[in-house]
Amino acid sequence: MSGKSPFRLHPLLESWFDQRGWAPFGFQREAWQAYQAGRDGLVHAPTGMGKTLSVWLGPVSQWLDEHTEHDPAAAEVDRTQAEPLRVLWITPLRALANDTLDALRQPIRDLGLPWTIEKRTGDTAQSVKAKQRQRYPTALVITPESLSVLLSYPDAARRLKGIRSVVVDEWHELLSSKRGTQTELCLARLRRWNPGLRTWGLSATLGNVEQAASTLVGSRPTSKPVLIRGQHTKRVEIRSIVPDDIERFPWAGHLGLKILPEVIRAIEGANSTLVFCNTRSQVEIWYGAIMQARPDWLGRVSLHHGSLDKQLRDKVEAGLREGRAKCVVCTSSLDLGVDFSPVDLVLQVGSPKGVARLLQRAGRSGHQPGAVSTVLCVPTHAFELIEFAAARSAATAGTIEHRIPLDKPLDVLVQHLMTCAVGGGFEREAILDEVRGASSYAELSATELGWAIDFLTKGGAALGAYPEFKRVEIDESGDTPRYVVRDRSVTMNHRVAIGTITSDSAMTVRWASGGGKSLGTIEESFISKLAPGNRFVFSGRVLELARVREMTAYVRRAKSSKGIVPRWGGGRSPLSTELSEAVREKLETFRLGGADEPELRAIAPLLNLQTRWSVLPGPDDLLIETTTTREGHHTFLFPFEGRLVHEGLGALLAFRLTRDAPRSLAVTVNDYGVELLSETAIELDGARWRRMLQPADLLSELLECLNSSQLARRRFRDIARIAGLIHPGFPGRQSKPSRHLQASSELFFDVFAEFDPANLLLDQAKREVLSEQLEVTRLRSALERIAGARIVMVSPERLTPLAFPLYAERLRTQTMSSESWRDRIERLVLRLEDAASREQDTLRR
Amino acid sequence: MTLPRMETAGSIGIAVAGEDLRLLPERAVYWPRERTLFIADPHFGKAQTFRSAGIAAPERSHSADLETLSLLIEHANAASLVVLGDLLHSRSGVRDSVIDALGSWRTRHRSLAVTLVRGNHDRSAGDPPKQLNMKCVSPGERRGPFELVHEPDEASGNGYALSGHLHPGVQLGGSGGLGRKTAAKLPAFVFGANCAVLPAFGRFTGLAGVRPAEGDRLAVIADGEVIALNFGRDA
Repeated sequence: MSGKSPFRLHPLLESWFDQRGWAPFGFQREAWQAYQAGRDGLVHAPTGMGKTLSVWLGPVSQWLDEHTEHDPAAAEVDRTQAEPLRVLWITPLRALANDTLDALRQPIRDLGLPWTIEKRTGDTAQSVKAKQRQRYPTALVITPESLSVLLSYPDAARRLKGIRSVVVDEWHELLSSKRGTQTELCLARLRRWNPGLRTWGLSATLGNVEQAASTLVGSRPTSKPVLIRGQHTKRVEIRSIVPDDIERFPWAGHLGLKILPEVIRAIEGANSTLVFCNTRSQVEIWYGAIMQARPDWLGRVSLHHGSLDKQLRDKVEAGLREGRAKCVVCTSSLDLGVDFSPVDLVLQVGSPKGVARLLQRAGRSGHQPGAVSTVLCVPTHAFELIEFAAARSAATAGTIEHRIPLDKPLDVLVQHLMTCAVGGGFEREAILDEVRGASSYAELSATELGWAIDFLTKGGAALGAYPEFKRVEIDESGDTPRYVVRDRSVTMNHRVAIGTITSDSAMTVRWASGGGKSLGTIEESFISKLAPGNRFVFSGRVLELARVREMTAYVRRAKSSKGIVPRWGGGRSPLSTELSEAVREKLETFRLGGADEPELRAIAPLLNLQTRWSVLPGPDDLLIETTTTREGHHTFLFPFEGRLVHEGLGALLAFRLTRDAPRSLAVTVNDYGVELLSETAIELDGARWRRMLQPADLLSELLECLNSSQLARRRFRDIARIAGLIHPGFPGRQSKPSRHLQASSELFFDVFAEFDPANLLLDQAKREVLSEQLEVTRLRSALERIAGARIVMVSPERLTPLAFPLYAERLRTQTMSSESWRDRIERLVLRLEDAASREQDTLRR
Repeated sequence: MTLPRMETAGSIGIAVAGEDLRLLPERAVYWPRERTLFIADPHFGKAQTFRSAGIAAPERSHSADLETLSLLIEHANAASLVVLGDLLHSRSGVRDSVIDALGSWRTRHRSLAVTLVRGNHDRSAGDPPKQLNMKCVSPGERRGPFELVHEPDEASGNGYALSGHLHPGVQLGGSGGLGRKTAAKLPAFVFGANCAVLPAFGRFTGLAGVRPAEGDRLAVIADGEVIALNFGRDA
């Protein structure tokens, strides 16, 4: 655009900037210009600076251009006189909605525009929703789920006509999830009603921004979406706390607390610190440890995770914003959202698992002008030091993770079709065309759509008509048959069930006395393992279970200070492809003698020991260690490909090994490798291992594993819920709609497998396990890499530093009681320490 | 001789209240001396209940269950069948198709005496139609040393109670790594000191985890076989 003067907004907005002493960033002008030219686009930047205004003022300026008569001094209009709905602002987080509202309202109020800006999320009161149904505001901040609900009203087409633009905030968060797919489907429907609709997205830095943008604008954009790179002023520094005395045998979760003194020192040195942990259990543990070390910080240190009561979380966030909080220990629950400007230090406890995630977290600090965003990494086991160094190198090189959109998940389609049927009905040809407008469904076949429609109208394709089945009915009164819902209770049930976020059924935790104030929620599966009187740690307190009534666990404060920390489901993400590769490179750097980073220097003794007792594998090696202990024969393989790939590999190896010779195998995985434990030795030579690891027949054999395992059955839970087989119950009411309609997803899986095996939702469960749980694409490329690798087989006398964490992982998952696990590990560590130091002595002599 | 045939099909024997019972992998108990078959919780009409609420549940589960029941009756040459509650799932599931299916099943076993111990679901669904020729009784009915109930809590202590209601399942497996994800819940028979709980007979019913009490004898059904978990003591 050289030679031309920069794009200028409507003069009122330009002077609004001037009055505030602000000058728009170049990227903001780029975005406004593209918007004015009628383009769609995506603004991506590592931090939030100025992103909101870059996509908000385009539509505002457009209105001003269309309303030359607007007088900024005019009296405020009430909501019944305001401009009709023009802008939808989709946000993935309810918690973000309030801050977004504030940011959007500021220029509108200052310019006296006759606009109303409101939010609508699952939390919005019924009375407000009803008022909005009478007249939508000019701009509506909304979650994907609430948008689906808007589409489910019979007059949706008429009411949502007139929308000029849609902004999707934090698009990277939605992109590769079913919520993202749901958003795509909603956008496709809105585009059909509003052919000139402009779609804009805001995203953090991603490895695949082009794909993110093209997914957002759908499969039939009028022109290529514009990619705009946001302001990039902050420097990010990734450092690690390197303990003086590295334990020789680290195991998951233990080294971390030994580093507590250094962590306390770091918190002391900063004004306000965010401590990110990978799991909610870790948050409880670290919060407890910090409070025990510094009881004088009571009231200034708090914790924040998704299971805690919302009021408590709001209080913690307010404390951060106002600079009252010394330190908050949190999970990814604070990854997103408005910046807490007082925060000047971020700690990452344990592996960051991905480069983008670490950068995102680092960006939560350093908002003072010219400040550097610093993230201080805290290893919980020594190998994480390599991951920190690897993440730094990858960040410097700009190697950031990709987020891949899903490929036409049928459960989401079934739910969306139901939404359309409730929301005024649909016709087969038209809906196929519309749905294909969503990128994820661009390749949807007429047969697949037909199956989904049959599923909704008849209950299943294979089984013919059930007279009593009533969900979607066919209205033949017009020229073309329309799929509609007539039954009011079906409509109501569906609105409540809209959404693709599924979770374990959660129990509310309340105080047994004093009004029964809520503390938050815990998975039912955890509470069900406790008996009254048992202690557990939650919300930073040691609690004692008093009793369980309905879906509520009543607790009281425990007298003793020891309790078990709940382990929440999920939350254990694998090392990303990008970071796995960076780790392999770091190991190679070390092998070649280039240990110039503090992390590598610190872990050198451990890696040297690995080299002495076994081999430190190079990038073209696959190390296989076999060791015998009292427990049996251990075979360790180290592909360094991340937990999920190793799970797939473990399942495949178990399948292939037991097919050759009947034996029972226990498989354990971590991000570095796989352990196979068997009673008899697995005696294979290099050539036979190569056959075991060959990529041929991968898919068919994995499918065979799936049939015999519970993986697909478990996976079916989310699918059954999204496709409407299981109703989540009504909000505020603990019970399901009727106790006669209770059935578990696993039961549905079983009866479908037996009586309707062609049901495509079963297929989807298997596909999801393959692609998401076992990462079959990554597994295939890993096997292809291994096929070209040199197989290095070693039989060390003892467990090596690489093998030990896997060994400990198995014990950890096998034993329920953490005490006995800890004891056993500690005894073994002592023995191995002993062996290593004896050897050191011999070497010295 | 019908008994040996029953024994070959993966069943096991258990001594209870001085009687010998056989636990069948079809989720039923057979009492050879009285040629009586016990089942609990068939929940006929459950799939229909779901479908009338717009939830797609496949059809054939109840016809498959009825066919299984017929085979059991014929193989054992049973004279009597006791349903320990929850024959019908709900009032909205009592459809012509269900009643017709039950009716033709009943015709096939005309001479069989059928007793239904009313369970919580039967109370809301109502007694089955007269033409099904079932004797409906309240919990507490005696049959030899056995007290017939639906819910274990209904046992009066007067005799050894046979019950259902809980749909007992036992979690097996569940060790580390993938083991955690391959852990399976299996339908179970629980024989306590004074009361036995039968697995739910209906295929479309689901399982609830049970925590056996000290001294309970437990058997699970896996791959068409009943497997005793802790009968060691008296075997």
